[in-house]
Amino acid sequence: MSNLTKVFIVLLTITSIFLCAIVVTYVANADNYKTRYSRIISERDALEQSKESLTSQLNEKNQQKDDLEKSLTGRIASEKAKADELRGKLGELERQNADLVQRTNDFAAVTKAFSETADKQTQTLNAALEEVKQLKAEQIKMGRELEEKSQALMEKTAIIETLETDKRRLTEEKADIQTRLDRLLGAGRGVAAAGLPVTPERGPAIAIPPVDRQVPLKGLVSEVDVRNAMATVSIGSADGVMKGTKFHITRGDEYICELSITDVDTDRAVGVLDLIQQQPRAGDNAVTEL
Amino acid sequence: MSPNGPVKKTAASNIYTVILAIAFGLLLATVIFVACKCYFQYGTLFKIP
Repeated sequence: MSNLTKVFIVLLTITSIFLCAIVVTYVANADNYKTRYSRIISERDALEQSKESLTSQLNEKNQQKDDLEKSLTGRIASEKAKADELRGKLGELERQNADLVQRTNDFAAVTKAFSETADKQTQTLNAALEEVKQLKAEQIKMGRELEEKSQALMEKTAIIETLETDKRRLTEEKADIQTRLDRLLGAGRGVAAAGLPVTPERGPAIAIPPVDRQVPLKGLVSEVDVRNAMATVSIGSADGVMKGTKFHITRGDEYICELSITDVDTDRAVGVLDLIQQQPRAGDNAVTEL
Repeated sequence: MSPNGPVKKTAASNIYTVILAIAFGLLLATVIFVACKCYFQYGTLFKIP
């Protein structure tokens, strides 16, 4: 065997080993294309079925879309008509709103003027009421003065009547004395019997005691100050209440306490509580005579 | 008959025969492996499935 043959055998063997290794490696690592083909075919079939179902769904959806589009088109048309109608109504309402706002502003101005007038009239009324209170107080004071003067006039009238009676009696005594004197001076006449004056003799004028014009007062307890033992009654100088007037506070048939007036206003009076049997409260009766 | 006398015949070296046998066996094993692989994967040896 020549050397060339040996070399050839060795090279052939090495090349064979190399190529066999390459082939084995490639075949061992090659993909199974049949399996891949089958899988791809099945996937394609599934995708085709899916495509068909999706196409049918698409057609159905397109049909539904067309139907919905038609119905929505009709509704849009009707809604547009309604919108136009509502726009018209809105314009009319806006005009009415503007009119109402104008009227409201006018009413507000009138109300404001009326409020100002009412305030002025209230002030005038308060002033008039205050004046009425003052006039009532003056009236009460003048009534008292009138009573006092009437009483003095009655006393003086009684004195004048007494004096006139005395004068008449003295005139009659004078006439009687004159008659007796004339009889004494006349001759042959007897002594005339002494006459008696016609007018009876009266005693000296006696001053009439002042008439007790104190009428029973009746009111209600309006406020109670428990801490200071004071209370307010609902009547004042206009009703004849004076400082020092004593009220008896009652509640039904129960006697509560006594109230001595210390401060008097025209329509109310304030006093100090005394002889407290029970705690007084607003609404209790206040009378000067039980 | 050669001019240098009779040619001395010697037996061929067995080592190269063994090498050739190994190469042939390796090739045969490769072919069997490829054939089995093709048959089990594709069900045929030469046709395109």
